[in-house]
Parts: sequence; C-alpha cells; structure tokens
Amino acid sequence: MYSRNTSNFYLGLFCLAFALFLIFIWIPLDTDTGLVDKIRRRLVIGDALAPTIAAVFLAIGGLVLIIFERRVPSQPYMTGQNLRFISVTSFLLIISLILMRYTGPLAVWIANLSGGEPLEYRLLRDTPPWKYIGYFIGGTVMITGLIAQVESVLSWRTLRIAVLAAILLIVIYDLPFDDLLLPPNGDV
Amino acid sequence: MGTLDYIWLGILAVFQGPEMFAVFGLPISVTLVMVFCGFLLGIAVGATPGLAGPVAMAIALPILISIFGYSPDALLPVMGFLIGIMKGATIGGAVPAILFNTPGTPDAYMTTLDGYPMAERGQAKKALRIAHLSSASGDTFSDLVLFVCAPFLAIFVEAYLDLPEKTALLILSLSFIAAVIGGSPAKGLISTGLGLLAVYVGTGEDFYPRMSMGTQQLARGFPITTAVLGVLIIGSAFKGLEELWQEKKSKGIIEPAAESGDQRLSFADIRRLSPYIARSALIGTAIGALPGIGSTLAATLGYTLGKNRYQKRKPAEDPDFGTGVPEGIAATEAANSSVSGANLIPVLSLGIPGNAAAVFLILAADSIGGFNPGPSVFKFTKDVVNPELVVAFGLFTAMFLANILNWTIGGVFMRSMGIMIRIPKQILLPVVLLMTLTAIYVQETRMEAIWFALGFGVLGYIMRGFAISPLPFVIAFILGGKLEDSARQAFSATGNDPFFLFTSPIAAVFMALSVGVILYAARKSKDEK
Repeated sequence: MYSRNTSNFYLGLFCLAFALFLIFIWIPLDTDTGLVDKIRRRLVIGDALAPTIAAVFLAIGGLVLIIFERRVPSQPYMTGQNLRFISVTSFLLIISLILMRYTGPLAVWIANLSGGEPLEYRLLRDTPPWKYIGYFIGGTVMITGLIAQVESVLSWRTLRIAVLAAILLIVIYDLPFDDLLLPPNGDV
Repeated sequence: MGTLDYIWLGILAVFQGPEMFAVFGLPISVTLVMVFCGFLLGIAVGATPGLAGPVAMAIALPILISIFGYSPDALLPVMGFLIGIMKGATIGGAVPAILFNTPGTPDAYMTTLDGYPMAERGQAKKALRIAHLSSASGDTFSDLVLFVCAPFLAIFVEAYLDLPEKTALLILSLSFIAAVIGGSPAKGLISTGLGLLAVYVGTGEDFYPRMSMGTQQLARGFPITTAVLGVLIIGSAFKGLEELWQEKKSKGIIEPAAESGDQRLSFADIRRLSPYIARSALIGTAIGALPGIGSTLAATLGYTLGKNRYQKRKPAEDPDFGTGVPEGIAATEAANSSVSGANLIPVLSLGIPGNAAAVFLILAADSIGGFNPGPSVFKFTKDVVNPELVVAFGLFTAMFLANILNWTIGGVFMRSMGIMIRIPKQILLPVVLLMTLTAIYVQETRMEAIWFALGFGVLGYIMRGFAISPLPFVIAFILGGKLEDSARQAFSATGNDPFFLFTSPIAAVFMALSVGVILYAARKSKDEK
C-alpha cells in the first residue's frame, strides 16, 4: 500500500456520503419503527436509533478525516495491484465454495444415472463417503488455488498438500464428533 | 458456616469429587483430570491459527453435557474443563499472533504488533517466552484478587453501577477504543461505526428485522463468529497471502523466517519487563471486575499505557512500540490474561460475561442447572450451606489448578507449538482459511455464514489497506447489542428520561470522558501533523 496525499480526503468523503445515505435513505426505508416509538402510550427507544448512532459515528469519522487529517503525511490507500489480488482471491474462493456446495449432490445425480435404487443426497448427508465429497473437492480446490496464486505456479506438490490438508480437516472436525456437520451438509 | 468453611468445601469439592482413577492408591478426581485435559486442549486450540478458545468451548460443551449429564455433580467437571480451555487458549493464543500475525482472538491482536516483528527478526522463541511469563504472571495476580476480593467487589460493583452507568460505561469503552487504536481517531470512529452498523442489521425489537432489505438471509443478522473471525482472521489471511504474493513477484522467492540471536529470557529481561507486567496485570484485573467490558479493552489499555511509559523512557535510538519490542508483548499479554480471573466476579455475581469464553461458562451453568449466576451466589448463609457458593469456590480452585499448570507445563507445551513456524506460510495461510471457514460452518450450519465471513474478510482486508484498525470494529460488534439493550432498559427504568445518561454523576463523568478522549486524540493527531 502506497501513500497518496488525497486518500484521507476521499475516504472521509465516502464515509460521510455513506452515513448520509444510511441516515436519510436506508434506515428510514428499511426499519419499521423510528428513533423513538410509542407502545401502549409508553415512549420506547425505536429500532432506528441504534443504527442511526452507528451512522453518526461514521459521519463524524469522515468529517474528522476531511477536516483534521486531510494533510497527514502517511495516507495509505488501495492500489490497482491490491484490487487485482483480492479480485482473483475472491474468484478462487467463490469457485471453491460452489464446488463444495454442489459436487456432493452432483455425485449422487451421476450415481443415479447408472440405475439401481434412486439415491437422495439429503438422506446421505451424514453417510460416508457422500458427506465428504463436496468438502473434500471444494477444500482441495481452495487450498490448491490459493497456494498456486501466491507461488505463481501450479504443481503436483501443491495438489498433494491440499489433498492432505482437506483430509486432515475432515479427521479433526468430522470423525470424532457425531453431531457436527461439515459444509455443505447442514444446508442440503 | 464461615468464609473459610466455604473455601474449604470448595477445595474439597474439586479434590474429593467423583474419582476417575487412582495413582498409588491416591484417588484422582474427575474435575482434576478435566481441568488438565481442558488446559492442554486450550493451548493446542489457541496455538492453532484460525481456532480459538470459544470455538473449542462451543464444540466441547454439548459433548461434555452428553457425557456428564444434567446433575449438579456435572457442574465442576464441565466448567473445570471450560476453565482449562479458557486459560490454555489465552496463553496459546499468543502463538499464532506472534508466529503468523493471525490473532486467534481479538485480545491477541495487540500481541501481533510487537510479537510478529520479533518473529520476523528470528526471535520467535524469545517472544513466546515473554508472552508466557507475562500471561502466567497476570493470570496469577488476577486469580489471587478473585479469591480474596470476589464477594466484596461483586457487592461494590452492583451497588454503584446501575443501568444508566452501565450504558455510559459501554459508550466510554467504544470511544476509548476508537480514539486510541491505530493512531487516528477518525479511522477508529469509522471502524467503530462499521462494527455497530453490522451488529444492528437484522436485529431489533420490532417484528420486521431492521435493515434486512426484506431478505431471509439478513433477517437473522450476522452471527458473531462470521464478523469477528471474518474481519480479524480471514482479513489477516488475505493480507498475509498478498504480502507473500508481492514478495514472490519482487524477489522471485519466498524466504522463510530463520532463528537469530539469543532466544533465552535473562533475569535482566525479566526485571526490565516487570513494571509493564505489573501495571498491565492491575489494569486487566480492574477491567475484568467490571461487568461486560472484557479482555479486549484490557489488552488495548495495557498496550497503550505500556506504550506511553516506554516512549517516555526509552533512549532515542531504541526501537518504537509496534516494531518488535518485548515490552509491547508483555504489556498486552499480562493485561488480557489477568482479565479471566477477575472476570468471574461479574460472571458469577451478575451473570454478565466480559468475553466470549465467559459466555460459555454461563451457558454451561444454564444448561446443567443447579447453579444460577446472580446475586444469590455470594450469599454467605450461616445456618444452611449455600451450594452455589461452594461451586463458586470450587471454580476458583479450578482456576488455581489451571494456573499451576500454566506455570509448570504451559510454557513448554506452548513453545512446542512453535514448530508450526517451520510450515511455509503460503501453505499454512490457505489451510488456516479453510479451517476458519469450517469452524464457522460447524457452529452455524449454513452456507450463508461462510459467505458472510468471506464478505467480512474482504472488508477486513480493505480496512487494513486504508490503515483502519479492525479491532474497534470487532469490539463495537461485540458490545453493540449490549449497548442497545442497556440503553433501552435504562430509558425505561428512568421513566423515559431522554437525559438518562447525564442525570447520575457517575454516568455523566463517563459521558464527559467519552467526548474528552475523542477530542484529546483528535487534537493530538492534529498537533502531530
């Protein structure tokens, strides 16, 4: 992160604008009670008060940045490289989580194609090996992808490490406990 | 029944409880074994990046209850195990903070500021020794205070802090954190505002969950694990991975940290660190005794006051706080470890937890029954035995046992976890990321929690990019709900007085301090410019 002498000003402006959006648009439109409310002739604190105070914190922070800290020497900000890194990382994580969520049910669907008694993933979500498929594939892809991104190279060694790590986490979180569910088995 | 009789009964309840096994004919009670096992598990969990004491407690509690059942005999073994985890995880939590710059809990965040730079300079073992010494010292002091003062302090705190004062105290905590963390009060306020905003989504008293945009996903609010672990651990993992990525791009290789310099802790080191440890132990114990404040504020306050003392006294050529100074680790670890003992005072006497670990103690007491944290616990009845007071002194004994383990095997076991530094960070961080997401899921059992955690992780990464400390966010998230509840109750209890925060002298002083600390920090920041 590098220093640019206007970043505090723009960050302050953004916070101030966001706070005003919260106070005048989001909170009033998306909260049923006001700052204070009357219930059975009694005055009570409404649901809008607390988030409004949160927005006031943001607004004051933004104003202090604009007025008092606008010219401080060190003003880190997000560079294009930072944005590129977090975008690629987010993409990798989204792909891994989609695989984690859907490969188990997909495996059951494929198994059903071969005939026999039809299976349902929901009923198998606590039965090995079905319950591990999504977590294992999604977890392996996540670890492999992130290591490969940092090392700028995809190798068999990376894949082996990811497979071992995914198995280790299954051993830690699932094998000793009957009542814990690995992702995504609580959702299906 | 006098006070000493109650203490003695509490000790006996631990040592003469149901027998687990015998060593040379000497019966070893199940509570002793549970404290021991909990302590070792706590260190291992605390030392594993991405895990923390509360996660282990959350996973262990249903298992423990299914083993020990719901009888009053289950109270000491189950709560002893949880106390073991709490104590072990406190010292273990310094390991990932120092070795990997990934604090397992908000309390350990300040430890990263000086611990990680020391590890980067090859002084990881020395940093771990300092953390252990400070942590065990603070813990011992706090336990002593708990044992001696608990009943009196419980009565004192309850007498002087009513609802408006508690509300004002929470506001003071938030203002203080916003003003002192990260060197910029403006960014501290922004971080606090974001934390409060996040905790208020989907909550409230109305039928319609506020700010949920009509969606089911937001209607339940953001689970605390997603916000805390997301901003602190996932955000930190993203940042760590990015630094490695940049290093690889600029140098072509990623260099592992190698040990260098003397790793031992000399007597001169201990003497130099002692004032910092003593001062932080006092701060942590005092804060722990206040209801609902907790160890994160203690760590912050201990670190900040330690920093002020150090900066005033150090020779000009010595390094600053935040660049790998042993005093920084000592000040933080002594403060956050000394909270756990004193924190049992509000937990047992008022039922108000000061940190996440204490929440599980209350949960265990609620689930098992036979022990209701509240004013009845500290009633010294003379004619009939108050069983709750016996359990309370049994818990104090368990705290002491964990403390002895802390001094004897804690340091060795903690440092043995230092072996994890040999694992390359580019391998460890992705594994930590998956482990954190898994830990969140097994608690919340819905994929939304993982998506929320990743969202908070990206927020934590962006905040770090703009040099906004994530800690005020986390503290605001933890205290936000309590703040709103106590404000609602105080407003109602004072007959809808809109100035309820200013009518009592103590609350008015807290409010004046809240404004004062922000103005002082803003002015100081302007002067430094």
